[in-house]
Amino acid sequence: MRKLHFALIALAAFAFGLLSSCSVVQKGTDVLVSSGKMKESDQKTILKTGEAIRSTFADISEEEEYYIGRAVAALILSKYQVYNNDQLTDYVNTVGSAVAGYSDRPETYAGYHFLVLDSDEVNAMAAPGGFIFITKGLLGKCRTEEMLGAVLAHEVGHVAAKHGLQSIKKSRLVDAFKLLGTEAAKRYGPKELSQLTDLFEGVLADVAGTLIERGYDRKYEYEADKLSVKFASRTGYNPNGLTEFLKNLEGTSATGPTAKGWFKTHPSPEDRIEKAKTDISGLGKTPKTEPVRTERFLSFVAGLK
Amino acid sequence: MKKPFRVPVLFCTLMILFTFLLAETLIIKIQTTNLRKEPKFYGQTTAVLKAGDSLEKIGVQDGWIQVRTSNGQVGWIHSSAVETPKFNLLASNKGLKTQASANEVALASKGFNKQVEESYRAKHGEISFVWVDKMLKLKIPPSQMESFLKKGKLAEFGGAK
Repeated sequence: MRKLHFALIALAAFAFGLLSSCSVVQKGTDVLVSSGKMKESDQKTILKTGEAIRSTFADISEEEEYYIGRAVAALILSKYQVYNNDQLTDYVNTVGSAVAGYSDRPETYAGYHFLVLDSDEVNAMAAPGGFIFITKGLLGKCRTEEMLGAVLAHEVGHVAAKHGLQSIKKSRLVDAFKLLGTEAAKRYGPKELSQLTDLFEGVLADVAGTLIERGYDRKYEYEADKLSVKFASRTGYNPNGLTEFLKNLEGTSATGPTAKGWFKTHPSPEDRIEKAKTDISGLGKTPKTEPVRTERFLSFVAGLK
Repeated sequence: MKKPFRVPVLFCTLMILFTFLLAETLIIKIQTTNLRKEPKFYGQTTAVLKAGDSLEKIGVQDGWIQVRTSNGQVGWIHSSAVETPKFNLLASNKGLKTQASANEVALASKGFNKQVEESYRAKHGEISFVWVDKMLKLKIPPSQMESFLKKGKLAEFGGAK
């Protein structure tokens, strides 16, 4: 009889895990517990089985990504001042939202949002969930809307491919999922909250440290360039905006050994140009640069100081 | 001898399995999104959808899904906004596992959530979220986006794809 009891629990856990809709599992098991047909301990076993499925960055929920992104954005903004220019901010948000709209992931938990940072450093950063930053210094290196679109599409690429979340240490995620797996409450008690907050701080250190200090692994930069070419051309931009922007920076202090930000740990522009050219040639016919776009770009950045 | 819960558990399990197998149901996994008249991100919106809303899938087109809402409205949403409760038995070599994001809706409000952020902020008063909240209000209305694309000869207005 005991064996049968366990077999039933296992079967239920299997089916619930398969469906993996915890809200359904929670409600279903709640009903069984309240009617006295299931022990509370059995319910916990089932819920735990469902939770244990989470193991990698891909299992981080949209909402969790949003909260990680918010805090990473706050950390970026603790190091940089905002360039407060409503018209320019609106323009950058329009170009950014356009390339995000034509990306593989136009929808995130709270959408894509863009801010210009008041720094001469040539840099752009994307926090998880779609909080994207571009410095005034980088804007100053763009000559056309195609170039701006390419840079923003590169950042959208990092968000779409969840590169920020991939910089979280595996052991940290394992700890977080393990902690969550033992706690089914909707609101955390002081002990769990304290542990989760410590884990959250660790996650932020992993992501913000990568974005601000260390930079991504080269393979992610090449992937983001590839996605930039894809998303920008889908939007109708000439994808050569990326190669032209990179050429613009060759041999400048933005890419040298003292470089900060975007080029501190990025692969060399020459390598990126080569790879991007291959990506572009793979597209076949590509959109051409329209003078009307360059004109409006120049009018928006004209007052940049 | 008492048979504690064999029948109800089996019944519930099978019922849930059948329900999910038969219905092509989608669930909104992001905070909020719009039901659109056409399959494009700046398309005219016909309804606001929220996290957890369920939809019936009708068709697909280039990453966009035509859906029917619970009150019968038909429109389009992007696949990145929804959770597809389908599953793949071969998705993991560590045993049975649903597709990558299968738990996302289920775990809404759990994990790193508002409560954890509040706790973090209480600990780090020096980190300001003022600009983060301002940033979230920066949104481009669909009509402005359409005008921007049209004037810039972009997307469908530039003959490029």
